[in-house]
Amino acid sequence: MNKHPQKAKNRGYWLTLLPLYLFTIIFVGAPLLYMLVLSFLQRAETWGITGQFTFRNYAQIFQPVYLKTFADSLKLAFLSTGIIALIGYPFGYFMAKLSPKGKKWMMLALMVPFWTNSLIRLYGWIIIFRANGTLDQILMGLNITQSPLKLLYTYPAVVVGMVYALLQFMIFSVYSSAEKMDWKLVEAARDLGASPLKAFLTVTLKLTLPGLLSGVILTFIPSMGLFFIADILGGNKVVLVGSLIQDQLVKAHNTPFAAALSVVLMLMTTLMIALYKKIAGGKELEGLI
Amino acid sequence: MKKWISMGVAAALTAGALAGCGATPKNETKQEMNLFTWMGMFPDEVIQGFEKETGIKVNYSSFDTDETMLQKLSQAKGGEYDLIIADDYIIQTAIEQGLVAELDKTKLSNLENVNPIFQSQFYDPENVYTVPFGAGVQTIVYNPETIDFEITGYEDLWNPALKDNLAIIGNYRVINGMALKIMGESYNTENTATVEQAGKKLLELAPNIRLIKDENTQDDLISGEVGAAVMYTSQVTLAKLANPDLKVVFPKEGIGLGIMAQFIPSKAPNADAAHQFINYILKPEVAKQYFEHVGYYSTNTKADELISEEYKEFLTLPSDFSADKVEMIAPVSAEIEEAHVKAWTEFKNACGQ
Repeated sequence: MNKHPQKAKNRGYWLTLLPLYLFTIIFVGAPLLYMLVLSFLQRAETWGITGQFTFRNYAQIFQPVYLKTFADSLKLAFLSTGIIALIGYPFGYFMAKLSPKGKKWMMLALMVPFWTNSLIRLYGWIIIFRANGTLDQILMGLNITQSPLKLLYTYPAVVVGMVYALLQFMIFSVYSSAEKMDWKLVEAARDLGASPLKAFLTVTLKLTLPGLLSGVILTFIPSMGLFFIADILGGNKVVLVGSLIQDQLVKAHNTPFAAALSVVLMLMTTLMIALYKKIAGGKELEGLI
Repeated sequence: MKKWISMGVAAALTAGALAGCGATPKNETKQEMNLFTWMGMFPDEVIQGFEKETGIKVNYSSFDTDETMLQKLSQAKGGEYDLIIADDYIIQTAIEQGLVAELDKTKLSNLENVNPIFQSQFYDPENVYTVPFGAGVQTIVYNPETIDFEITGYEDLWNPALKDNLAIIGNYRVINGMALKIMGESYNTENTATVEQAGKKLLELAPNIRLIKDENTQDDLISGEVGAAVMYTSQVTLAKLANPDLKVVFPKEGIGLGIMAQFIPSKAPNADAAHQFINYILKPEVAKQYFEHVGYYSTNTKADELISEEYKEFLTLPSDFSADKVEMIAPVSAEIEEAHVKAWTEFKNACGQ
C-alpha cells in the first residue's frame, strides 16, 4: 500500500521529463549517430553516398595537409584563448569589486553589443581595418604612418576578431566566481602577513580558478569552430577545421569526409572538457551567472 | 513523355481547382507556375509582363546554392517545381538522377534565338533537356592606376609585382584551372599527377593572394584593397559599372565558361506553363531586360543587338572571341575531385603563411 503513491509520483516525474529526453534524442542524439554512421561510408562518384563501409575518410585526415589544418585551428584557438584570459581575467576580477550599481552598468555595457547580429559587428571591424578605414585615418592623422597599412585580411585581424567575439564569455565566468568569493579569506591572509601578491596567488587565484578554467573552455571550444571570422577578417586564407568541413560539404560534395572531420573535431573538444573536469576536480562548468 | 506532360497538366488543373475552392472561387482556371532559382534573377517587369500576357501566376522561390536546389528537387522526386534555373554541372547530375523532363520543342518557337556557342555542352549534348539562361566566364580585372604592367593572361598573375595584391574567387576548379591552363592542360583532366603538378604551380602564387572570397569580390577591387582580381562575370559587370577605368582581361591561355540553364523537372505540376515561360523570356526584348538585370553574358543572339550601349561591353562577348579558346568546367571523377581539394587546401594553407 505504501509503495503505490511513491511509484505514481515517480511516474509523474518521468513524464514531465519525457519531452526533454525526446527532444535530446531526436535533435541531438539522432543527428550525432547519423553523422557517425556517415563518416564510415564511401562517397559516390558525383552526388551522395554509397552504402559501402570504409575507414578511408579517417585515413585521409592523416595526410599532412589536413593535419596541418587541425594544427592551425589549435594554434589560433590557443592564441585567442591566451589573449582573452590575459584581458578577461583582470576585467572580471575588478568588475566583481565594483559597487552594486557599477556592476549593473558594466554588465549592461557588456551585453548591449550582443543585441546586434555578430556578423554585423564583424563588418564593423572591416570598416575599421580596411584601406583608408578608421584606423588608417587615425594613424595617418597622428602622423604615425604615412600611407594606408594593409590591416584587413591578415592574421592579426583574425585574432582581434576572435578575441572580440569571445571575450565576454571569459569576463562573465571569472566575474561570477570572483563575485562568489569570500573576500574575508584574502583579508585573513593579509592579516597573517602575506604580501598582496602572495595573497592573490594563494587565495584569490585558487578560488577563482574554476571561473578562469570554465572561461577557457567556453572560449577555446567555440574558437575551434568560428571559421567565419577567419573568412571575413582573414580573407579566407587561414584554413580552419570549420572552413574545411564547409568546403567539403558545399563545394566538394564529400559528406562522408566532412562527417569524419566533424567527428574528430568533436572528440577533440570532448577531450578538452574531460581535461577540465580532471583539473577542476569533477566540478561542472562555472555557470554564466 | 507526352503522357507525363498531360498528367502534369491534369495534376496542375486539379491542384488549381482545389486551391480555387479555398480562396478565390471566381478564378477557378487561374494557372500557376512554380519557378525555383537564385534570388533576384528577374526584374519585376519580366515576371509581371509574363503574368499579364498569359494570366499565369508565377510563384518565385529561391535557393542559395545549386546543391540545396538538387537536394530539394530530389526530395520532391522531380515534382513541386515547374521550372528551375541552375548551373551546368548540377543539371548534369539532375539529369543522371532522372529528375529532368525532356523539352517539348514544338512549344518553344523562339528557340532559334539562342546563341549556338552556348548549346550542345557536356551537360546536355543533344539539347533535349535545357535552354541556356545566361553565361559567365572567369576573367581577370585590374586597376591600371595601381598596377604598372599589362596583364594579358594567367601567367602574369604570378608576377612578384602583384605581391599581396590579388583577390580570387573561392572556386577551386577555376583557380586550380588557372595553373592547368598555363600548363596547357584541360580543366577536366583525369590525370592525378597533372592536378598535383598544377597544385605545385599554384603554391608559387600564394604570396600574391590577399583575399579569397566568393561573394562581392568586386568590392575590394573598387575600394582599392586589391589591385587585381579573378572574378565571375556578374562581379566584373558590377566592378566596371563602379569604375569604368578598370581593365578586363580574357586570359590568353584559355577561358573557363559556365552556363546557367533552365530545365523542367520530370514531374513538374505545370510543365505547359513552364514552356510558355521559357518561350516568353527567349523573346529578344524580354531577354535584354533580364540580362541587363543579372549582368551575365547574353545567350540570345537577337537580344545582343538590343542591349544598351552602357551594358554592351559586359553582356555580349567580344567580337574576336572564339569558341575554341573556351572550355566548360565539367564534373570529374571522385579521385580527381579529391586531388583538386587537396591541392586547393594546400594552396590556402600557403596563402595564410
